[in-house]
Amino acid sequence: MELQFECKKTGNGSASLKVIGDVTIHTSPKLREQLKALLVPDTHEVRVLLGEVEFMDSSGIATLVEGLRWSRASGGRFVLAGLHDNVRDVLSLAKLDSVFDIEECSG
Amino acid sequence: MKAGMGCSCSGEDSQVETLTCELNCESKCIDFLRSVVVIMTKRMGMNPCHSNRVALAVDELFANIAEHGYAGRPGRIEFETRIDAHGSKGKELVFNFRDYTHSDWTYQECETHASGCEPRAITPGGLGLKLIREVADCFEQQKLADGNRWHLTFCVHGSE
Repeated sequence: MELQFECKKTGNGSASLKVIGDVTIHTSPKLREQLKALLVPDTHEVRVLLGEVEFMDSSGIATLVEGLRWSRASGGRFVLAGLHDNVRDVLSLAKLDSVFDIEECSG
Repeated sequence: MKAGMGCSCSGEDSQVETLTCELNCESKCIDFLRSVVVIMTKRMGMNPCHSNRVALAVDELFANIAEHGYAGRPGRIEFETRIDAHGSKGKELVFNFRDYTHSDWTYQECETHASGCEPRAITPGGLGLKLIREVADCFEQQKLADGNRWHLTFCVHGSE
């Protein structure tokens, strides 16, 4: 299944990326591309909306970790929002749920 | 469909039903395997969370064989799944993979790259194998002269 994205940027340096579909070893490079395009110096907050992602494997988790690293390196905030139970469970299994800034609502 | 090149089912013995397939390690097979996992976990009576964990483990193992064993190139993988009503730990959902890779890799070697919650330590291959060990009741690799045999087992837990 192809990943779909809806990207919104606001004038105050915030951006949101809605991800739709499964994030796997075959689709995570697309997610990486989208995140890389958002994480530019004038963006101080990126919210990744994951309410419509029902399955994510380790390559997806690694991609989110990469986004978190990029964001931290530029002093920005990287937020995961509206996680599906399955994705929250995988983050917990990887012991990364406390590493990410996670919001309940998808905004 | 090229993903599932040959499948067969056996279920004459009501205690054991087996599905066997010969796959090519390409992207379509992930979707095929996911569908098989959905059916088998439902038949096992697993809850949605447990079913997702089984799907995760099967996905990760297949991806690791494809990426590390076959280095992203097409390659033959034999796949078998069955429900064993009288396994060593009770009712068991079993997945067996057989690859014909010649590269000298093991899951233990890959796993040394992933160590807990430090983001710098995360690598996809290492994390994937760590996740498999977290969710599977049994995860074994048998190295053969011409490849590897991989064995995954899942049991039904508690209130499922």
